[in-house]
Amino acid sequence: MELLCLGLNHRTAPVEVREKFAVVTSHLGTAARELTSLEDITEGVVISTCNRTEFYFVAPNAESAFAKLESHLAAKTSMPEGINPHFYRKEKSSVPQHLCRVVSGLDSMMLGETEIFGQVKQAYQAALDAGTTSGMLNRLFQRAFGIGKKVRTETSIQEGATSVGNVAVELAEKIFGHLSDSEVMLIGAGEMSRITAQSLVSRGARSIFVANRSHDRAIELAAEMGGSAVTFDDWQRVLERVDVVISSTGSPHTIVHRADIEKARRARKYRPLFLIDIAVPRDIEPAAGEIEEVYLYDIDTLEQLAEGARTRRQEQIRECERIIDAELAKNRLVGS
Amino acid sequence: MDRWLLIASTLLALIGGVWGMTSVHRNRRSHWTIMWMAMAFALQTGFLTVRGEARAACPLADPGEILAYLAWSLTLFYLLIGPAYRISLLGVFTAPVVVLFQTIALTPGVLDATPLKIPGGNAWHETHTATSVLAYGALALAAVAGVMFLVLDHQLKEHHLKSGLFRNLPPARALLVSLNRLLRLGIILLTLGIIAGFMMPRSPSATGHLVAALIVWAGYALLLWIQSTRGLTGRRISLLAIALFLLSLGVFAFV
Repeated sequence: MELLCLGLNHRTAPVEVREKFAVVTSHLGTAARELTSLEDITEGVVISTCNRTEFYFVAPNAESAFAKLESHLAAKTSMPEGINPHFYRKEKSSVPQHLCRVVSGLDSMMLGETEIFGQVKQAYQAALDAGTTSGMLNRLFQRAFGIGKKVRTETSIQEGATSVGNVAVELAEKIFGHLSDSEVMLIGAGEMSRITAQSLVSRGARSIFVANRSHDRAIELAAEMGGSAVTFDDWQRVLERVDVVISSTGSPHTIVHRADIEKARRARKYRPLFLIDIAVPRDIEPAAGEIEEVYLYDIDTLEQLAEGARTRRQEQIRECERIIDAELAKNRLVGS
Repeated sequence: MDRWLLIASTLLALIGGVWGMTSVHRNRRSHWTIMWMAMAFALQTGFLTVRGEARAACPLADPGEILAYLAWSLTLFYLLIGPAYRISLLGVFTAPVVVLFQTIALTPGVLDATPLKIPGGNAWHETHTATSVLAYGALALAAVAGVMFLVLDHQLKEHHLKSGLFRNLPPARALLVSLNRLLRLGIILLTLGIIAGFMMPRSPSATGHLVAALIVWAGYALLLWIQSTRGLTGRRISLLAIALFLLSLGVFAFV
């Protein structure tokens, strides 16, 4: 009996191909049952995320099992070029190695992301509940979860925010702690400010105010985020109550001046204020950052921080792979 | 015996501080600092118990005992507040202050080698000394929280966000909330201490000590009044909490 894996991911297949093979979470158990219903396949787990669909299975003959699964998948989809150019095959020892890389986030589009660990656990649980796993796959997945945990705790593969939105959230949490007590104002309703504000909302920011030159757009964006729209002339009044300001207007001139903040300081009782300027040209006068309680970050600084985190994660890959190899070498899995 | 307890306690606090700093440097959270500090606290308590029995009173009769009691009080508030507010790094900043106070206490001549029984104990006197030194413990920890805020504020302002220290520091708002609570607790205890000081029988030479204590009390009261009415930036309240604590140590010059 051999451990086998057939899969496709964001590197081997574009989204229009990946979506043909995607399996919704509630159907993972059914998909695993369908997999084990194929001749010779004795155990099976199906993993499906937005970036990958992978079939882990056990069969006595690799070549014949791969061929049967590929023809089964080809029959389900109508792809003129066939499915083979998009799928990769893993056999024997490369299966546990690949699965460990997947659960550790080393194979993810966003290196080191943590969501994949839960997604693989969910897929394994669905297969377990469907009764499609036995000795070999149980041992493989339990081992991979253990190694994945070790990789994440012993390296910094998941540390640091790797996108501008996440850097902004991390900084906001460093200043205010739980964001449930924090209020946010958007000046300008551009895409970047929307994404950044959404990141803050997803982490619990209490309320959002949107000020935009086009009030209709402000109303639209505020409705999307469950916040309130304010007229563009009113943003200075709102400044007195908010904790975070995200500015991204298309204005060629400075919108938020140091004097505007100085004016609001007393009413704010000198509470900390986090200013995020993601506009080019910049919306916020740099001198505003010299005010004691103001923390000002522009797009370049946020991007540099995100890039720094991405680089640090890249530097961790070798160490993660060393841990995976060392752990797998301790006990050879049956079928690998 | 008592001296050895204080030496052991100082060593444990030192280990706790070094352990914590090393963890922070390696970008790891130190879960052991609180254990080392708890053990240091147990030995501090042992030291004060032995001295208290020898004095047959609250052991605050020489500068060494006052410093040891201050270190005990600082550790007590850290153990009460640090874990409750999930600001474990507070221990890393508290340990050096504890080590400093206790090392000075252990310097030859600071601690009476043979503590004598204090004749004619008075309840108001005991209350005055105990609550005052407890108050200084809370105010010392407020100053420690202030130092932590200043470090974090500097890193946020200068965009120096890669160090292990930055990652382990609690949020700025949590530090300011803790600092405020400690200042309030400190001033309540100090008020009780001063009231007891007025009630106890005292020699004319104690007037200077009481006046100094009143000036310290007024300084903290003014700081809290400004903070609650007008508001203060985090940097200013931190700097003032540190400055007032350092100035307040001058009160002990009049003991």
